[in-house]
Amino acid sequence: MISQIKSFDSKILRKTVLDMAYAGSTVHIGCAFSIIELLAVLYRNHLRYPGNDPLAAGRDYFVLSKGHGVMAQYACMRELGWLKDEAFSAYFADGSDLKGLSDSRIPGLEVTSGSLGHGFSVGVGMAMGVKLRGTDQKTFALVGDGEINEGPIWEGAMFAAHHELKNFMVIVDENGFQAMGSTQEVLKLGSIQAKFESFGFEAITIDGHDEAAIDAAVAQLWASGAKAPKALIAKTVKGKGVPFMEHNNMWHYTRLNAETYAQALAAVAATAS
Amino acid sequence: MRAAFSEALVRLAKADRSVVLLTGDHGYALFDDFRKACTAQYINAGIAEQNMVGMAAGLARVGFRPFVYGLSAFIPVRVVEQIKLDIAHDKLPVILIGDGAGFVYSHLGTSHQSTEDIACTRAIPHLSVYSPADRFEVAACMELAYQAKGPVYLRMGKSDQGDVHMAAPQAQVGRLLEVKPGQTGDVAFIATGSLVRTAMEIAANSYPGAAVWSAPFIKPIDGQQVAAICAQSRAVIVLEEHSVLGGLGSVITEIAAEFAPVRILRVGVQDRFSHHCGSYEYLLQEHGLDRAAIEQQIRHFLQ
Repeated sequence: MISQIKSFDSKILRKTVLDMAYAGSTVHIGCAFSIIELLAVLYRNHLRYPGNDPLAAGRDYFVLSKGHGVMAQYACMRELGWLKDEAFSAYFADGSDLKGLSDSRIPGLEVTSGSLGHGFSVGVGMAMGVKLRGTDQKTFALVGDGEINEGPIWEGAMFAAHHELKNFMVIVDENGFQAMGSTQEVLKLGSIQAKFESFGFEAITIDGHDEAAIDAAVAQLWASGAKAPKALIAKTVKGKGVPFMEHNNMWHYTRLNAETYAQALAAVAATAS
Repeated sequence: MRAAFSEALVRLAKADRSVVLLTGDHGYALFDDFRKACTAQYINAGIAEQNMVGMAAGLARVGFRPFVYGLSAFIPVRVVEQIKLDIAHDKLPVILIGDGAGFVYSHLGTSHQSTEDIACTRAIPHLSVYSPADRFEVAACMELAYQAKGPVYLRMGKSDQGDVHMAAPQAQVGRLLEVKPGQTGDVAFIATGSLVRTAMEIAANSYPGAAVWSAPFIKPIDGQQVAAICAQSRAVIVLEEHSVLGGLGSVITEIAAEFAPVRILRVGVQDRFSHHCGSYEYLLQEHGLDRAAIEQQIRHFLQ
């Protein structure tokens, strides 16, 4: 267990995302808001970083395969003390380090993603390596529901099941949207749980904004005696936490102005913790 | 050459148990020795090259030394983006083996032929590109790729052309190897892979004063050495079983243009796919890469 440095309060995480998105005039706010609770629970209760070191040799691996949600991860890394406040106020400034998509040169980000369908396979490779080495490290790969259009996801799913990588968990952020519309309109996914189960995963579907449910499901999957890799399907809301962003795919692309920034901050502050 | 490759791989894997071999369901007999000697280090990733390369990056990230094997039409060409993003971006020590490069699969058609792989890989930052010509160069390239502790694409083409060196050369990353000394002011041949042998034969028969160099390293390449060869030659003939666009011919021409301008003939595949099938020798003829056609091209160029 990591020491509880901060609370990973979802209101604080969302405020951090809004602050940096406004400072950098950036897009992908909706993509970050759908995974806030998932990341909060993982960092608070599950990911082990010995010595609070993002590069610790024995750490668990958290792979953000959907790099578009990276602002949510930055917000958690701020809680951990891995990123300083200056990095947030200077987001997207010329010569700054934090990019709009995950870049593994930042300690704490395990992969360079944004081109979709990459991180999942890298995570499967990490889990395979951990299995070969025989340590108890866990690997999580968080993918978007749009992202699983990509073929390598299913190549990796076959491999993970064949090699019984029970130390690997994919978390699917099922927010129902991808860049150009709803997943239903673009490419119907059907039951994501059934798909992963048919590939040999042990899968659970939960409300991806219910922290108690996320925590219990992750614990339950790891506690399983089955040799299967794990899949946690998280039903989420793109733009969660700000009513005018919720279920509104515009917030994949839209930048905040002074007015919408103030409105969004007020909305986040008004939500129940 | 393939035996030397297998021997080198087994030797490295026995000495370092973090070496793992991933294959995309290719190399049926080639890996018999490896599978016997290093069973736990062998992973058949299935016919799923994109995932295989991503996994190799993951294995490297947690401390392994992956070798990824496939036909060069697939590794690297099918997975260029995985190589760029998952491996090269972070300088991960993954060695990519592209076998059967050029027209080795002469009967199978374009899907299995590979004449754009060097061009696809050499523009990727941090990625080295090796192209051995015989068993000695394969052994050296494998050892140097392992020692490099960074991403390397190793191109293996037609493997039964015979040796170009009398014994193991003193190979250094980036350095061209002289296989036939020549005279200053004469023509110089620079070739890689399967066409080194052809260059030697042409030089021996028709250009006795010409130097012949083998280029087992396409990137990095010693620019000063290349410039020196260009500066002391009246013309340079570059030969490769690869497109004339973006391969060794381009490398030499780029260096010469900047540091030692000289007339350069780029002998290679003329920006076209194969139209017909047949023996390897037939395919070389179709592309004008048989010895007679190359000699005619050179005569015309030097007139």
